[in-house]
Amino acid sequence: MTKLDELMKLPGAMAAFEFRGSGELLEQRIAYPDRIDESILDLLAHMCAANMSIATMQARGWEKVTTMTGFYPVQEFTLIGFDWSVVVSGLHREQYKQAGKFSLPPFMGVVMANEKADYEAAFAILEQQEPVP
Amino acid sequence: MGIASDLLAKPGVIAVGEYAYRGDRFSYRGALTEEYARMASIMCRATTMGANMEGAMFEALRSGSGLHPPRGWVVHGPAHTVCVIANTFCLLDNTRASINDIVKFMYKALANVTPDMI
Repeated sequence: MTKLDELMKLPGAMAAFEFRGSGELLEQRIAYPDRIDESILDLLAHMCAANMSIATMQARGWEKVTTMTGFYPVQEFTLIGFDWSVVVSGLHREQYKQAGKFSLPPFMGVVMANEKADYEAAFAILEQQEPVP
Repeated sequence: MGIASDLLAKPGVIAVGEYAYRGDRFSYRGALTEEYARMASIMCRATTMGANMEGAMFEALRSGSGLHPPRGWVVHGPAHTVCVIANTFCLLDNTRASINDIVKFMYKALANVTPDMI
């Protein structure tokens, strides 16, 4: 089972997706196409790529200025909308960077209905380590 | 900042702050210096404003899509997490805090804070 399929098993999962660091949508699973379709996910992926970059910049700056650690690298960024939340992560890219790889895997994300959202379960799936080829 | 005491009583909550949507006013309680709390307030306000802009763009693309207006956001680092709902931020120690509990508590406690001033 792929990680996208695993994410779709989370309570209230509405969609799961992969996207490039520049925001392009690469692959997706959609549970309710009448609510979230590919066009919506494409814009969402671009938003999430931007938010991950900003959060990473802020975490880096915060650690440098305050000397408080434990914010960087950002493991997940979550945007809590009115009805649903989106959680995205690029943590497994860190493994590739540490292994000296220049070609990095995509970011991954999941959209969950707020009333059922289990953020910590989403983090746990997104943080699962995978072997670097 | 009515919910600060409740949040600070929860395990793993390091600091709680509130920022004005407009202007540079902020207040905070917990283990941060005044200068760091000011910097955290500015960063949180900037991200909240960005999230609201994104929500409005989403709404323009597809009305009623379920994102707009955004309620908040979370940045989860290896040891610390920043949770923001409305104009309140909360700094957490990951080893002790339950992010699910904190987000759900803030979501409910701040449900009536309107984004009118954004």
